[in-house]
Amino acid sequence: MKILVSIAASLFLIAIYMIFSYTPTEAVMGIVQKIFYFHLPLAFTGFFSFFVSFICGVLYLVKKDSKYDVYGATSVEIGVVLTTLVLISGSLWARPIWNTWWTWDPRLTTALILWLIYVAYLILRMSIEQDGKRASFCAVMAIIGFVDVPIVFFSARLWRTIHPVVIQKDKIALASSMKLSLLIAMVAFFALWTVLFKLRTKTLFLNERVKRLNNKIL
Amino acid sequence: MKNIITIVKKDLKLEFRKRESLTSMLFFGILVLVILNIAIGIGQNIAPSISGGILWVAVIFAAVLGLDRVFSNEKENRCIDGLLLSPIEPETIFIAKMAVNLIFMIIVELIIIPIFIVLYNSSITLENLPMFIAIVLLLNIGFSAVGTLLSAISSGTRRNDIMLPILLFPILIPLIAATVKATSELLSGSPVEKYSQWLYLTLAFDLIFFGSSYLLFEHVIKEG
Repeated sequence: MKILVSIAASLFLIAIYMIFSYTPTEAVMGIVQKIFYFHLPLAFTGFFSFFVSFICGVLYLVKKDSKYDVYGATSVEIGVVLTTLVLISGSLWARPIWNTWWTWDPRLTTALILWLIYVAYLILRMSIEQDGKRASFCAVMAIIGFVDVPIVFFSARLWRTIHPVVIQKDKIALASSMKLSLLIAMVAFFALWTVLFKLRTKTLFLNERVKRLNNKIL
Repeated sequence: MKNIITIVKKDLKLEFRKRESLTSMLFFGILVLVILNIAIGIGQNIAPSISGGILWVAVIFAAVLGLDRVFSNEKENRCIDGLLLSPIEPETIFIAKMAVNLIFMIIVELIIIPIFIVLYNSSITLENLPMFIAIVLLLNIGFSAVGTLLSAISSGTRRNDIMLPILLFPILIPLIAATVKATSELLSGSPVEKYSQWLYLTLAFDLIFFGSSYLLFEHVIKEG
């Protein structure tokens, strides 16, 4: 665990150094473009979290092993935090570049609806006491939520193709130094994801143990 | 099949004796239509592109009220245990409950839609009526499939009345968006080709969510 934390921390230091001094400032967008190196890894890891929770949901329903419930819940928690940051960092970038905080672009729409679905998941989790029931219900919700993603993305895309596209997203061809920085930032974020996942599952497993011991004593 | 009919009959009989859900659903739906009409501004001509959205907001808010009752009725006096103990498969219960929700929704729509046409000065002609019915049915099927699954979930939680819309609405967003879009096009008199892709999208939603709800229902109802 300590090794993992130090790896993640040093990766972040390297990534920050790379982003702010190694890579040149983007010619058109200027300093704002630096958000991109955080935004994209956040989006990737966020989406990855929901994918993990979907897999854990299926595994839980098949095997009924509470460990998958803990894994699933952890990844949803991390995913919601990361997606929140994606929405915030995206808005901060969009304001100077697109001249608007928000637009109903397919990607933005998908991120927002994912966020809504998984916040609903967390609210559901809070409102059930019994462990077995909570695990099953949450597994079902994680599956249903993830199944919704392609439909959301497709409908948002259809919406845009019918409407005139006000803001065209330019193709971002990256210089090689930018690609390298992005890659390191990506690895750093996945390391962070692993650290968070391990810490949180450990807490939840301990919680469960405390509950079990409590029941034994009483 | 016989079991499905038995459950549906039982639920409908229960409802028509008390007339609890349907009355409140209808009244709430009409209320939403009136409030939104006032909120937009009395005396203004509301464009069909907007009124299509208003109709479905009213229908969906009304339908959620009915959805909530179908399982919480079974929770009273633990009727659900009896249902589960009977030699009926969980899948059959799902189909039956979905059918009940579908029937409630259609009854509500049969009354709300004419009121909507009057209040919002919309024109549904004989020509586009079949397409309109198709839109309505596609929405109803998708809504009641996911709705049945999620109302089974929400009835097992502590705050069941507020849980259902929280869980249901985010999932339904693409279905509602597509239906609203198709309805708005239809009300503005566009040809079918202009909105047929939205109908395919709702059809895809229906198929995917009917399938997954059907498969997942068993895991929910056993925990209930």
